[in-house]
Amino acid sequence: MSLAVQIEDLNFAHPGSDFPALERISLGISMGESVALLGPSGAGKTTLLTLLDGRLQGWRGRASVLDAPLDPDQPPHRARRPDTGFVFQEYALVERSSVLRNVLNGRLGRMSTLRALFGSPAAHDLKAALAALADCGIADLAERRVDSLSGGQRQRVAIARCLAQEPRLILADEPVSSLDPARAAEVLALLTNAARARGATAMFSSHQPSLARRFARRIIGMSSGRIVFDVPTSELSEDATEDLYRDTEPMPNVALRAVS
Amino acid sequence: MRSRGFGGLATSALVSGAIVWSFMTTDVELSRLLSAGPRIAEFLGRMFPPDPTVMKEIVKGSAETLRIAILGSLGAVILSAPLGILASETMVSPVLYRPVRMLLAFVRAIPLILVAMLMVGAVGLGPLPGIIAVAFHATGMLAKFYAEAIDGVSRAPIAALESAGAGPLVRLRHAVWPQMAPVVVRDTIFRFELNLRESLILGIVGAGGIGFYIQTYVRSFQYDKAASVTLAVVIMVAAIEAINVALRRRFV
Ligand SMILES: Nc1ncnc2c1ncn2[C@@H]1O[C@H](COP(=O)(O)OP(=O)(O)OP(=O)(O)O)[C@@H](O)[C@H]1O
Ligand SMILES: [Mg+2]
Repeated sequence: MSLAVQIEDLNFAHPGSDFPALERISLGISMGESVALLGPSGAGKTTLLTLLDGRLQGWRGRASVLDAPLDPDQPPHRARRPDTGFVFQEYALVERSSVLRNVLNGRLGRMSTLRALFGSPAAHDLKAALAALADCGIADLAERRVDSLSGGQRQRVAIARCLAQEPRLILADEPVSSLDPARAAEVLALLTNAARARGATAMFSSHQPSLARRFARRIIGMSSGRIVFDVPTSELSEDATEDLYRDTEPMPNVALRAVS
Repeated sequence: MRSRGFGGLATSALVSGAIVWSFMTTDVELSRLLSAGPRIAEFLGRMFPPDPTVMKEIVKGSAETLRIAILGSLGAVILSAPLGILASETMVSPVLYRPVRMLLAFVRAIPLILVAMLMVGAVGLGPLPGIIAVAFHATGMLAKFYAEAIDGVSRAPIAALESAGAGPLVRLRHAVWPQMAPVVVRDTIFRFELNLRESLILGIVGAGGIGFYIQTYVRSFQYDKAASVTLAVVIMVAAIEAINVALRRRFV
């Protein structure tokens, strides 16, 4: 069976940082799986997802994505990039452009350079973008400029851009961090459903164990750059997730107490 | 921190020294200084009332000034686009942008009127030396502004397009340009306004435009005509500013 992600003994430290952000990570994810990454702030979730997207260099170990090995020294070939889609923690949208333009940006890697430069999408590019907008429930926002949207609306635009790209692997970095609990569940549902409908593999990071349980079949816990557990959702105990967040050192001089 | 009192003392000594030196070496005669007030008043009196018969010269001169400013600005934009890229941290390595920035600072340090005089010497009288001087002088500032516009762009959308498989040119077009366009438009309009203002006096050194008439009338003691042209210049500067304010509201 072919693997969407295969990592062996992966180590990485950010340039200028003297401790590893990822340490001895080994991992295999099959095609079509939905996986959640849990872990406290600074655990290395963004780093791991970014590395799998081919945007980090200088790591050690072996990693391959969608059956093609990643090169630790240079970014993957451009033709391969559209197959991996990324939802950014801070949206990474072009603020002054319209919602539709931003979603069409997800198609740029699938167009000819000339088409891309002139910003004239083909009929099927437009169709994919409009379908993604509809899937994310923001078809009526298509003409709005992104800088006039709320955080939650931006998050949907960011997801729509990723879906329009028609990736086979979706890497989503805290895709629902700025939504209220009801919306968060709704958006994660649409992301995981869209992935399943497209036969894509989905890997998302989150700070909410309850959402991870609901929308992922498998949960990976990370702390200080290491994997501390990697289990099917049904086997994950409450204690394990609590330990994950308890292990981190509390901020100095910050007392945790109930507000009376 | 070093003693603040010493720094303050040194500064005062330096300032007083500079003032005393200027007085001693410039030979400011008290009598001339006292009579300067009435003389200036009398001079201004001779400018009044302005002579309205020079309308034709005003229109001709300001049209030429406008053309100098437009073509000079166009030249500056054409020069600033590549130089702006070469002066930006985002696009090129320090080995390149440092010397380019130094060159631009050097260009900015040369006053326009001086460039214009040199150009008149090089290519002769008329609007051409004015256009070249404006283009050269304005590039020192405009290329720096363009470089800052490029460097002020947020990186995240560029990374997002890279992740989607867009090449460098496509990223420039769809992630960098939309972010910097309003800044570029604003800075270009701002520089055009400066070019128009500054080229009003280019005629004084023979580099074309309305300044030519001011100089001609003052030299031939026709102060009432000089007054009309000066008034026209003041009105034009005010108009330029008003238009600029309106444009800025539209674009930014
Ligand atoms: N560009 C960088 N340069 C240096 N160190 C970095 C950089 N980005 C992240 N790090 C460090 O790497 C570690 C992992 O960071 P990462 O962003 O992957 O954590 P995360 O799990 O995504 O956290 P969060 O939940 O807060 O988003 C942290 O210690 C962080 O300080
Ligand atoms: Mg993160």
